[in-house]
Amino acid sequence: MKIALFSDIHANLPALEAFFKDVETRNPDSIYCLGDLVGYNIWANEVVNEIRKRKIPTIAGNYDFGIGRMSNDCGCAYKTDHEKDNGSVSISFTNSIMKDEERAYLRTLPAHIKVEFQLNNDKLNLLLVHGSPRKINEYLFEDREEKSMLRIMEQADADIMCFGHTHKPYHRILNSGTDGQNHFRHAVNIGSVGKPKDNDVRGGYVMLTINENSSVLDKDSIQVEFIRFDYDIEKAAKAVEESILPNEYAENLRRGY
Amino acid sequence: MEFPNDLYYSKEHTWVRIENNIGTIGITEFAQNELGEIVYADLPNIGYNFQQDEVFGSVEAVKTVSDLFMPVSGKVIETNQQLLKTPTFINDNSYGDGWLIKIEIQDNNELKNLLTAEQYAEITNN
Repeated sequence: MKIALFSDIHANLPALEAFFKDVETRNPDSIYCLGDLVGYNIWANEVVNEIRKRKIPTIAGNYDFGIGRMSNDCGCAYKTDHEKDNGSVSISFTNSIMKDEERAYLRTLPAHIKVEFQLNNDKLNLLLVHGSPRKINEYLFEDREEKSMLRIMEQADADIMCFGHTHKPYHRILNSGTDGQNHFRHAVNIGSVGKPKDNDVRGGYVMLTINENSSVLDKDSIQVEFIRFDYDIEKAAKAVEESILPNEYAENLRRGY
Repeated sequence: MEFPNDLYYSKEHTWVRIENNIGTIGITEFAQNELGEIVYADLPNIGYNFQQDEVFGSVEAVKTVSDLFMPVSGKVIETNQQLLKTPTFINDNSYGDGWLIKIEIQDNNELKNLLTAEQYAEITNN
């Protein structure tokens, strides 16, 4: 079973189109979208519609939650006043272009998707969230203390937890077993299709492979592949520059930040 | 921003309120404001001893995780169980319902290493 997981498109249609082209060549069994369809670029409605027409199960990101409710707060943790000012331009611009039907779609997206496998007479829970199981906009960076990461996964009963939001992909395997019995849990940040921040300008997503032997007892029985694909970055960057959005967002696309 | 006069403050943004020999400890309004919405408080078990300035736990906010430093040495005698259900008490009332732990104070002389409300306000530019 090959499961493609993508998120954080952020209204970047050229990146989304390149993602679809790439993922179709790999023939996954299912595709899920982990949210943040809109914000920071001009194609908010188009991105919603491309995902909707393919009937891809999708959860809400913090930006979708905010725009769905016509809010001026996207739940983003901007570090400086300058970033906050830029962020205000982006959310008000996105609110101004969002059409009613597309906005209503964002408003009704679910918060989480849980997929329970029952293989080898055991359960294997795949949990899909945007930020974390407890908050849509919580940032789970790679350096999160193991104790904290395990607590979050144990409380959510997640054996494989996939999320986005930070735009920085990673895969951590943590053992929460006791009394000599292994229980491996996988924390997977799936990166970003349309706004990568790991200094790699290409779009990114994850292919998760679960087979009949997959189990929490064997850490290598679940495969996580990070896939990167090229897209027309200049088209996306120029669209930003020709809009009222801050030009820095174009530079960020060119730098992978 | 509020810094009550009856508390002692550490440079690491915790406060302690002394009643008899018991210290109630929390984080300041400045600290909770910097952290943003708090989603979990990782607090120590009762009976543990910590030295002044030692890390006794952490608070997990939406954007980051921050260690908690002991303002004074002591033994933990109670932790705020309400925070398990409502960690945002720390945001809403950091000097009241959002308290973290209670300790038996080991050495009152250590209080002189701490800041007054006025001094703390100064170092945080308030």
